[in-house]
Amino acid sequence: MIQVENLCKHFEIRHRHKNSWAVLRNFLKRDSSTLKAVDDISFSIQKGEMVGYLGPNGAGKSTTLKMLTGLLVPTSGRLEVNGFVPWQSRQKYVAQIGAVFGQRSSLWWDLPTIESLELLQHIYKIPTARFSSNLEMFKKLLDLDEFLQSPARSLSLGQRMRADLCAALMHDPAILFLDEPTIGLDVVAKQRIREFIQQINQDRGTTIILTTHDMADVQKLCTRAMMIDHGKLLFDGALSDLQNRFGGQRRLIVDFEEPPTQLKLANATIISQEALRITFAFARETRVAELISALTRDHAIRDLRVEEPEIEATIRAIYEGNLLSA
Amino acid sequence: MMLYRHLLLAQLRGAMQYRVSFVLDVLSTSLITITEFGAFALVFSRFQGLGGWSLVQIMFLYGMVEFAFGLTDMLFDGFDSPTFAQHIRKGTLDQFLLRPANLMIQIFGSSLSLRRIGRIVLGIGIFGYAVIHNPQVWQLEKLWYLPFVLIGMGLYFGGLFLVGATITIWTVDSTDAMNLFTYGGKEMMSYPMGIYSDWLRVLFTFLFPVALLNYYPALFFLGKPDPFGLPAWMPFLAPIAGFVMFLVALKFWQFGLKHYQSTGN
Ligand SMILES: Nc1ncnc2c1ncn2[C@@H]1O[C@H](COP(=O)(O)OP(=O)(O)O)[C@@H](O)[C@H]1O
Ligand SMILES: [Mg+2]
Repeated sequence: MIQVENLCKHFEIRHRHKNSWAVLRNFLKRDSSTLKAVDDISFSIQKGEMVGYLGPNGAGKSTTLKMLTGLLVPTSGRLEVNGFVPWQSRQKYVAQIGAVFGQRSSLWWDLPTIESLELLQHIYKIPTARFSSNLEMFKKLLDLDEFLQSPARSLSLGQRMRADLCAALMHDPAILFLDEPTIGLDVVAKQRIREFIQQINQDRGTTIILTTHDMADVQKLCTRAMMIDHGKLLFDGALSDLQNRFGGQRRLIVDFEEPPTQLKLANATIISQEALRITFAFARETRVAELISALTRDHAIRDLRVEEPEIEATIRAIYEGNLLSA
Repeated sequence: MMLYRHLLLAQLRGAMQYRVSFVLDVLSTSLITITEFGAFALVFSRFQGLGGWSLVQIMFLYGMVEFAFGLTDMLFDGFDSPTFAQHIRKGTLDQFLLRPANLMIQIFGSSLSLRRIGRIVLGIGIFGYAVIHNPQVWQLEKLWYLPFVLIGMGLYFGGLFLVGATITIWTVDSTDAMNLFTYGGKEMMSYPMGIYSDWLRVLFTFLFPVALLNYYPALFFLGKPDPFGLPAWMPFLAPIAGFVMFLVALKFWQFGLKHYQSTGN
């Protein structure tokens, strides 16, 4: 459904000068540098997949999505979605996709939300029967009733996102692109958006690509994750593989009855010690049972627990570039 | 066209929520226009015309361009550099591009500066008055040619707005430079060419063809001889000049869109 090969997008960054002579010189001799916002990315996505596109701010997520939706012309590389080259046949192509860019709205600012939806009906030429049945369904799923008559400018962030999701789906797109759909929302609102996205993917078989820098989005929604930073694709695969590949060490946290002496474990290292609590780190493969029995043999233990590395921490480690070469 | 109507109506319904500020807007721009014209008329009545042009003849020249420019300015508001810069910065242009509809229709439909209505009405008023008081204009073939001249001017100014919008694609900030050509050109066209020095006149006849759009057609309508002795078909170049300008602008616009870079986020 989506095929991307060696996709690049470079931005020319012009250096601005205060001094007007420098401006003139600038004009004559171009003083600019190239920013590789998306740098040689390849992937393909099947129909019905739900893919999380992860990366910190400025990683190149939005730029990728803008190319996929036909807003930007790639600097180089091949791009085909649903049989179209997005930027070449824009009008035909965008009729088949839906897109929500989280910090922007597709609604008319001063019009009641329902009127925005009706305008979109004209633009997308949605048959009236289809329009009403979709509206009924989204009203229920997204609780739109409370604000359908209010203008977009008066909606809360969460309401606006719900309205925008509805607007992007009224014409039954085959693919839905979501750029940071949960940005700025509180936990409850985030959860609600996630449930809705999941339902759309399952019930309608809509292919969904969502960018986020919130790990929880991907954890809850996606079986497949792609990770990008500095324009490069660092990882593409199942979320669990990400864990295994970069997951690093697990932790054992032990509360002793009395300050331990001569504490030593074969396959674990002490990473912190505070009063009676000691934290060990150990490799993924090491069996916890062996560590515990070794400990209980020599010491009195009040309590202990094992911590899986948080996915969040894993991601952070990847972002920081430490694991990239691994 | 249906879509254009829907979008405009939506725009108006939205604007109607700010009725008071809208009315104030119309009032203030009308007031400015009236003052402008008052000053203009005062000067000319004192001099008893200028370069062989009587006041009503100058009103013809002035009213014609005021009306054509006012109407174009109103319709092309979406392309006007400040408005278009907002479209780029706020991402509305992205939203337009994401919809399966003609981009230019969407931009046309995105805003209509109704506050220009004062200018247009005044333009019509002055022009109407001038037509009534210039009997030379009352000929069928002249009245028949009139819409072509108006459309020519509309296309010319529309083209300029389009060029301004296209430049904004690169600068992102709104550019004042284009005002020199739009508003400046309109001012220029409001006066008989005879008051300008020769080199300005040549510049505005052949390089920026504003004289072709208003001055020469006015000579024809008013039955005045051309003081500069150019060929007799000069008055009939107006629609062509406007059309060519718009076509060039359209090409430039299409070129610019290919280089659109969107903005952050
Ligand atoms: N229109 C643009 N012009 C210049 N640089 C841009 C433009 N859009 C994005 N960038 C730069 O490209 C990089 C990637 O941006 P983006 O794709 O928006 O990141 P993300 O969405 O992952 O936060 C950033 O460094 C950003 O500053
Ligand atoms: Mg982004």
